[in-house]
Amino acid sequence: MATRTDNEIRELSPEEWDQRVDEQARKRLGMSGEEFERRLNAGEIDIDDSPDVTRVAMMLPLHATRK
Amino acid sequence: MPHASKTPAEAVEHYRGRTVRLLSCVTSVHVVVRAYHLSDAPHELELADTAKMRGGPLSIDVAEEYEVRQDRDGWRVEILGYLYAIGYEGRELVAYHWHPRGKSSVTRPHMHVGANIQVGDRWLGKVHLPTGAVGLEQVVALAIVELGVEPLRDDWERMVDEAAGR
Repeated sequence: MATRTDNEIRELSPEEWDQRVDEQARKRLGMSGEEFERRLNAGEIDIDDSPDVTRVAMMLPLHATRK
Repeated sequence: MPHASKTPAEAVEHYRGRTVRLLSCVTSVHVVVRAYHLSDAPHELELADTAKMRGGPLSIDVAEEYEVRQDRDGWRVEILGYLYAIGYEGRELVAYHWHPRGKSSVTRPHMHVGANIQVGDRWLGKVHLPTGAVGLEQVVALAIVELGVEPLRDDWERMVDEAAGR
């Protein structure tokens, strides 16, 4: 078995990260990243509602601290 | 104890390198990180997408939050939170979570199992089963040793050992 090379690392700017949060929220949850963050902060969504909610929420603390 | 480096940037590079080498044992999906700046904290590293692993219907998803800290030996990356999930045929089989600063009443490391069993008025899948801190290397080893994932590298054990020392 051949040994593979290391995986690629893609570094995102803050703006690109915002875009990624939005894309993941739309793809996994059917809403914008902004709407997801608002509803999560308002308690309308629980972080344990589904694996996809947890996954996108994991992106948010960093996301939120920049604002 | 995580590896100590001379500068914050070196610590981040060391952490990223080890993590990527570890992940390359089970997936070729690339890793996404938020660009590192000294003033920003915490930082994020994650798999770009849920990744199917070789040897069966299993997949893996990974996200870590980390911070660079200085102690008397130098700079180290400390993991502040994580999500390590293994899926089976598209459904979550087991997930290890630690989100101490997130929107959850459960701030200690825990796991969820994809069990469709009702316990009183709760589903077992939503119960937070307590764990100690779990390292990504333990999840990679679990996938390979216990769940039959075929490693993509023949030096995977060395990568697991390397990551355990981070």
